[in-house]
Amino acid sequence: MAILATAGRDNGRRRTLQKRKSGFSFAVPALLLIILFFVTPVLGLLLRSVTEPELGLQNYAELIGSGTYMRIFANTFLVAGVVTALSVVIGYPVAWALVVMPRYWSQVVFAIIILSMWTNLLARTYAWMVLLQRTGVINKTLMGLGLIDTPLTLVNNLVGVTIGMTYIMLPFVILPLVGVIRSIDPAILRAGALCGANRLQCFTHILLPLSLPGVAAGALMVFVMALGYYVTPALLGGTANMMLAEMIAQFVQSLVNWGMGGAAAFVLLVVTLLLYAVLLRFFGASRIG
Amino acid sequence: MLLDFDKLGAWKWLLVGTTVLVCLFLLLPIVFIAALSFGSSRWLIFPPPSWTTRWYGELFSDSRWLTSALTSLQIASVVTVLSVVIGFLAALGLNRGSFAGKELLRALFLTPMILPVVVLAVALYAFFLQIGLAGTTPGFIIAHLLIALPFSIISIGSALDGFDKSIEDAAILCGASPWEARLRVTVPAISHGLFGAAVFSFLASWDEVVLAIFMASPTLQTLPVKIWSTLRQDLTPVIAAASTLLILFTIVLMVIAALVRKGRKS
Repeated sequence: MAILATAGRDNGRRRTLQKRKSGFSFAVPALLLIILFFVTPVLGLLLRSVTEPELGLQNYAELIGSGTYMRIFANTFLVAGVVTALSVVIGYPVAWALVVMPRYWSQVVFAIIILSMWTNLLARTYAWMVLLQRTGVINKTLMGLGLIDTPLTLVNNLVGVTIGMTYIMLPFVILPLVGVIRSIDPAILRAGALCGANRLQCFTHILLPLSLPGVAAGALMVFVMALGYYVTPALLGGTANMMLAEMIAQFVQSLVNWGMGGAAAFVLLVVTLLLYAVLLRFFGASRIG
Repeated sequence: MLLDFDKLGAWKWLLVGTTVLVCLFLLLPIVFIAALSFGSSRWLIFPPPSWTTRWYGELFSDSRWLTSALTSLQIASVVTVLSVVIGFLAALGLNRGSFAGKELLRALFLTPMILPVVVLAVALYAFFLQIGLAGTTPGFIIAHLLIALPFSIISIGSALDGFDKSIEDAAILCGASPWEARLRVTVPAISHGLFGAAVFSFLASWDEVVLAIFMASPTLQTLPVKIWSTLRQDLTPVIAAASTLLILFTIVLMVIAALVRKGRKS
């Protein structure tokens, strides 16, 4: 009897184990949160872009038809492109150095990168606003060195935005690239050298091609992030050099034009999701995290 | 050859040189801000004519700075707890569940992280205006929870990946109820993942600017909103003082996180 009872209880526990398989119910709180406060508001905003002030695509037509808005789009893509290129060109050697450096030094560099990444975004942007102003340290140093005669305009224009954003994006290029370069087998490079390739050939024929997927993935990610950036362009760019995210905020906050705001937001949303789809399609999910 | 530090030849100096320059570039604003916060010049002349703690005095004598810091702390704390709990449950479902559309659900949960924040901010602002949550603490918490949750799901999910589920099953076979097994066996085993989730969730809320600008009201401001609105008026050195304290706070958090990681290894 006792044995049977134990067996019965064991079966019960095994059934408990099997019953837990589905597991969907665990995800319900998060799902509710996302549907109610993420999917609904975003769809609601998109709906307003085609219904306000009246039903139709007139908001999108206005966005495309106006020279002012097109210049903002052009500015945004230009800055995002330049920031991406600078980040990759500057970040690649640093990532490479981090892989080969003595361990102690690479840890110091890692600490500096993480510190700058974790420092409050506004604190960093404020620092650049002060550093780059006409009477700022950068201009004074350049004039002191005799490189320039009159102060350069480095803030309230796209130059300031580019410097500030490259500063923010560099860690996002360097950190994934370290993983990519580290995963390359040094033996392949030794083989290249044994076959008579010099350092430049080894770089252009082995190291660069092998790390190119990682470079492309990192570049695409930074480009997407830069497209939608709000704080740094708003503070360093000034009102005359608006970027897309700022334009969306302006439509909503200053002009209370939800139709146009929604339309501009939808354009940014679609471009972002398309670029992420490219990223996932060509480089796989593992490279992005 | 190119991946061996001693055999890089002239390339070595190119790499080291770039790395040193980039490190200086990354450190420049941080060190500069800290130095500036003790400078006596209201017009931020550098190097400053003399040194002073006056800006820290102004910072602490203005109650609005303190109030906004406390608001930030309060919101970030609630967000952290909710994000870890909901994230833990979601990660359990996503990692162990077997239901249709699981990967789609995972992608949906992570979307708020990759979407431009300004889109989410404008959409939530519109929605909250309609349902009466604009400018309220719950509205603030919900907004920050949305961007904190993906960090929790990723951090806890990867910890769950490294945990052998059969240990939990063994506890159940030994007579524990499923929840008892989860809380007393699984949770302690993945505590580093939960800790990581908590730190990232806290920082995601504490440092967040864009959502906060839209969720704030004249009476409800987080620290970043206070910095933002002050910055838009003028570049007062008080912001340098506030920024320096924020940077110190970040360093303390980093050191704690590093110590926890070290403690786990040994």
